[in-house]
Amino acid sequence: MAHDDGGKAVILIAERDRSVRELQLFFLNNAGFAVEFADDGQGALDRARLDPPLLLITEILIPKIDGLTLCRLVRGDANLAGMPVIVFSILAAAARANDAGAAAFLRKPLVESTFLAAINGAMMTIPNAKRSLVGAR
Amino acid sequence: MTTPLTIPPVPMIADRRHDGRAPRVDTTERLKSGNREADYILGGGFPANSINIVMGHPGSGKTIFAEQLIFDNAGDDRPILYFTTLSEPLAKVVRYLQGFDFFDETKLGTQVIFEDVGAELAKNGPDALIPLLRQAITTLSPKVIVIDSFKAVHDLATSVAGRRRMVYEMTALLTAYGTTAFLLGEYTEEDILLYPEFAVADGIVEMSRRRLGNRDERYFRVYKLRGSRYLEGAHAFRITGAGLDIYPRLVSPRIPEGYEPANERISTGVVGLDAMLDGGVWRGTTTLLAGPSGAGKTTIGLQFALEGARQGEPSLYMNFQENPSQLIRTIRNLGADPDEAQAQGLDLVYASPVELQIDSIIVDMFRRIQQGRVRRLVIDALGDLASAATDPQRLHDYLYALVQHFAVSGITSVLNFETVGNTIAGNGMQNAMSYLSDNVLLLTVDGAERTRRALRVLKTRGSAHDTRVREVEISATGVAVLG
Repeated sequence: MAHDDGGKAVILIAERDRSVRELQLFFLNNAGFAVEFADDGQGALDRARLDPPLLLITEILIPKIDGLTLCRLVRGDANLAGMPVIVFSILAAAARANDAGAAAFLRKPLVESTFLAAINGAMMTIPNAKRSLVGAR
Repeated sequence: MTTPLTIPPVPMIADRRHDGRAPRVDTTERLKSGNREADYILGGGFPANSINIVMGHPGSGKTIFAEQLIFDNAGDDRPILYFTTLSEPLAKVVRYLQGFDFFDETKLGTQVIFEDVGAELAKNGPDALIPLLRQAITTLSPKVIVIDSFKAVHDLATSVAGRRRMVYEMTALLTAYGTTAFLLGEYTEEDILLYPEFAVADGIVEMSRRRLGNRDERYFRVYKLRGSRYLEGAHAFRITGAGLDIYPRLVSPRIPEGYEPANERISTGVVGLDAMLDGGVWRGTTTLLAGPSGAGKTTIGLQFALEGARQGEPSLYMNFQENPSQLIRTIRNLGADPDEAQAQGLDLVYASPVELQIDSIIVDMFRRIQQGRVRRLVIDALGDLASAATDPQRLHDYLYALVQHFAVSGITSVLNFETVGNTIAGNGMQNAMSYLSDNVLLLTVDGAERTRRALRVLKTRGSAHDTRVREVEISATGVAVLG
């Protein structure tokens, strides 16, 4: 699992909206995570395969590979089986996200409490992740 | 079959779909405005996580509306942030806020946070607003943000490009974060095309004020509400100690599915008149009772209402000329016991048309109709109601909507109308009311040495009637048709 130089668990985010990125970065850093961003679905997939992050958060509306397809590809990759995916989108697509294998779906805009709660919930599905969750907080 | 009384707390929103289908269910999450009537006009409130502009001249009620909203929404998980900028110092805002009923000091500083950012903006320019907002979002997580005045921030910008950049960045930030924003400003209607914030706003409401003689009329209007149905037009309001008292514009009701006119005659309470009408008036119909001064309109109206009370039907008598004490005396003169009649359900209401807007009179009337489950109604007289209306088209729309509301609710009404002379012919309201009403009765007064009063049925919908001119007399028991 990827960690930054300081030993913090990395959360990978596929998102293009600058304002959303700023807020995600702030709240996740504040919660003790390191954050990396990808501009599109292909970039996120490549980055995840290179060194799997703790979890992946993706918008649906991203170039090259959309967020739902990205989620399906991740779920179909045995090396990424332990990495939960959270779909965080402007679209009302909870059912489609669930069908694609997402651990959680969140509708934009971002609200800190529900955003972090969804991440905590997704992390509970990761084996041996509870300690890193507590540590991350 | 009589349709059950289903008048809502305020007159219903017009359903502009004419295909008979029920309105689509609206699942939009809403933020209540703290004002029941405003929420009704807004179709349930402002869409949550939206950006809204509240515009109006100084003194129009913008700040009070926003303050009512924030105190109503304060109280649970996330605080509410109120930025004052360069329009009014914070001390002044809070000073006058304390006079309103909705003010709750215990919420200040925790659930409602006021912050004066005027000095920061004056020093660093409008772009300083973005980091201020970002800091507020990341440290307070506010669920509502009010910027009062945003126009003042905007006017600090030295270039059009600078204004647009600031508005764009603010919009991007407020859209990314889950908060509902209200931008207050002293904008005019012309500004809508000039200021970029209007293009990005999800909702725009306006408070306006119009001078009318010695009094002011205030209006609340929704210009835009993305993704929502709302009640169009200007809605009158007053500012009271409880905040804004808004009177939603009356519009015609949607005819309920399965609506059928009632198939039941009810007595007018006037001896001989029921026979002229083939057994009384149909329940749920509207009767225009026209005639010159002194013809007996008020007496007949009271007899109709008293008969309703005797029959156990809550009856509302709205009048604009005689106060309740005068009316009680008149009721005694008719040989009835006012206390007994009121105990049986007679509600006597006096409203001064000089002091009130037609909207407030109508909303008050509907509240009484709902609270008292009114079945009979008398308006004495339409001319007074007209004097409370400043716009003839508005009056016509009101009267039409009123008649429709009464019909679908099974309320039988008598609308008195004073004519000049013994004719109903003419232009304007009397013509409009003649065709809107189900029944039209004309009282006349003649005679040189002895006053002779007569009554004629000019029209009844769905009924036979006596076509003769019948003499009437007013005695100690009221108006009676002779012979």
